[in-house]
Amino acid sequence: MFSYIFMKILENRPRSYDRLINKASRGHIMSIKKAVVAELVAADRILDIGCGTGELTAMLAVQGATVEGFDLNAKMVAVAQEKIREENLEKTISIYQMGVEGMNGFPDSYYDAVVSTLVFSELSDAERHFALKHCARILKPHGLILIADEVVPQKKLKKVLYAIIRLPMLLATYLVCRATSHPIADLAGEISSAGFTIQKEIRSQGDSFALFVGRLEKKDNA
Amino acid sequence: MNPFKFAWGMFFRLFPCPTKIELRRIGNPDRQSPVLVTCNFYITVRRLIRRLKGMNAWLLVADSKGVNVWCAAGGEEFNTHSVVSAIKTSGINDLVDHRKLILPSLGAPGIKAKDIANQTGWTVQWGPVRIEDIPVYLNSGQQRTEEMKRVTYNWCERLDTSIGPLFPFFLVGALGFLIFRSNLLWHYFLVATITFFFFMLTCPWLPGKRGLTKVIFLEIILAIILVVSEVFNLSYGFSIRADLIIAMLMLLVYGSELGGLTATIPSDLDPFLAKLGIGTVGNVAFAGTVRTELLNGLRELTYDRDKCVGCRNCVEVCPQGCWTGDEENRALLAKKEKCTACRACIVQCEGKAITAEPKAMPEPPSG
Repeated sequence: MFSYIFMKILENRPRSYDRLINKASRGHIMSIKKAVVAELVAADRILDIGCGTGELTAMLAVQGATVEGFDLNAKMVAVAQEKIREENLEKTISIYQMGVEGMNGFPDSYYDAVVSTLVFSELSDAERHFALKHCARILKPHGLILIADEVVPQKKLKKVLYAIIRLPMLLATYLVCRATSHPIADLAGEISSAGFTIQKEIRSQGDSFALFVGRLEKKDNA
Repeated sequence: MNPFKFAWGMFFRLFPCPTKIELRRIGNPDRQSPVLVTCNFYITVRRLIRRLKGMNAWLLVADSKGVNVWCAAGGEEFNTHSVVSAIKTSGINDLVDHRKLILPSLGAPGIKAKDIANQTGWTVQWGPVRIEDIPVYLNSGQQRTEEMKRVTYNWCERLDTSIGPLFPFFLVGALGFLIFRSNLLWHYFLVATITFFFFMLTCPWLPGKRGLTKVIFLEIILAIILVVSEVFNLSYGFSIRADLIIAMLMLLVYGSELGGLTATIPSDLDPFLAKLGIGTVGNVAFAGTVRTELLNGLRELTYDRDKCVGCRNCVEVCPQGCWTGDEENRALLAKKEKCTACRACIVQCEGKAITAEPKAMPEPPSG
């Protein structure tokens, strides 16, 4: 619980990031990634927003999808590209170094699914709004969106406890790496506002982590 | 105003104090109104809004991780991507007819103006260094005077920039005394406060260019007083040993933090840690950065006149006014001694004429 706050420190070690974040979360992040992959058995074209070292990207490609991923962190992207070469996945995976602000470059109604793990909590409100708007644009009608991230617990007591326990970790993380993550208050609401219907919501880590599965209701041009 | 955030931003500036990353309307801006960019440090945004009262402008608050412009640009948290992302995701493209962005001049070490133009089509114009100059700048056709381009460090600015980063250290010291020597706690409060104000108010007149060299002068005076008192067993009616030791220790803290708080004094702590072999802590790099290597003499600021394209960016962005233009409109490093290795000129140079080249190390003696 709360271990994802340390991902900002681990991001400085891209080669061991996946192993360390999985260890820090006691296998939680891997179980989330497996849950994402299980939801997308039928998807052909997938976009991985903030693909990091490409672990989830590769898992989706191994399942048979053509996957594109992007991440702002150049070191992470370098590791992802190396991993793709090593695993001979060059034909099914493309990785770009960019932020969500570059999503306007992706084609309309092209992807069956968009996935994102531990990225939205690092974006500003405007960036999240922008990214979700473009997710709705680039997805095919009834396409899926899967977002797994840190969220603010729903119940008041849990919210207060969460804030109290998180504060010292936040200060420690900041002192070490001058960065932190920002749990999202109403991620489900933001996804819905972009035109998606939440089909599934899996909460874990004391209600401080959630995986949302949304389906694009209809498209303006559909 | 949020009083908690204000107090946090003033006294705990060692930590971030973020405000919302967003496009703010100042007054009633229209399609011709100027677009100003700033960091998302709460205090900076509040001060800007206060100074812009009565004016019409768009204020694009970009991500700097809740840190002020100067520190965030130096640490590359306030960078080209922050501004590009703010432009593209805020919707400002649809709200104005022009494509001119006014950026804070002290952001130049972290934000590359040319890359912003290439990625967004917006051209960058560097604004004044001080927030209080912005109304005059906007009302005078967005023309910067020479004073608006350069950093000052008057007593008010020294107190403003130093209380925030130093207060947490002050509290840690107080906690130490509370636990281990509570009888000396009030001595600590008194001596730490007096030495802080004395050092910050007198530091421009103390000998030395850097914070640590400036405190050496005071340390020597205090050490002499301590030795004389001890050797001759002088009595003042009370012991001053503890007070002198507290003053000497606190001055070391203040001196080591002074560098880097402003563009007028080069950083001490990073190059010192790099020399000790402490390369990185978390993802904060001390060793290996251009700035640290410039300060430690491992690199040298070099200028290739043949490559200079006459863009004058160096003249515009150097907070110390080190660069000037010669008769052929090429850059001239006229005041190299004032350089504090902020890298603004290197980052903004369009011809890549200004670089930080590694210094040639002398060959080890053979045989």
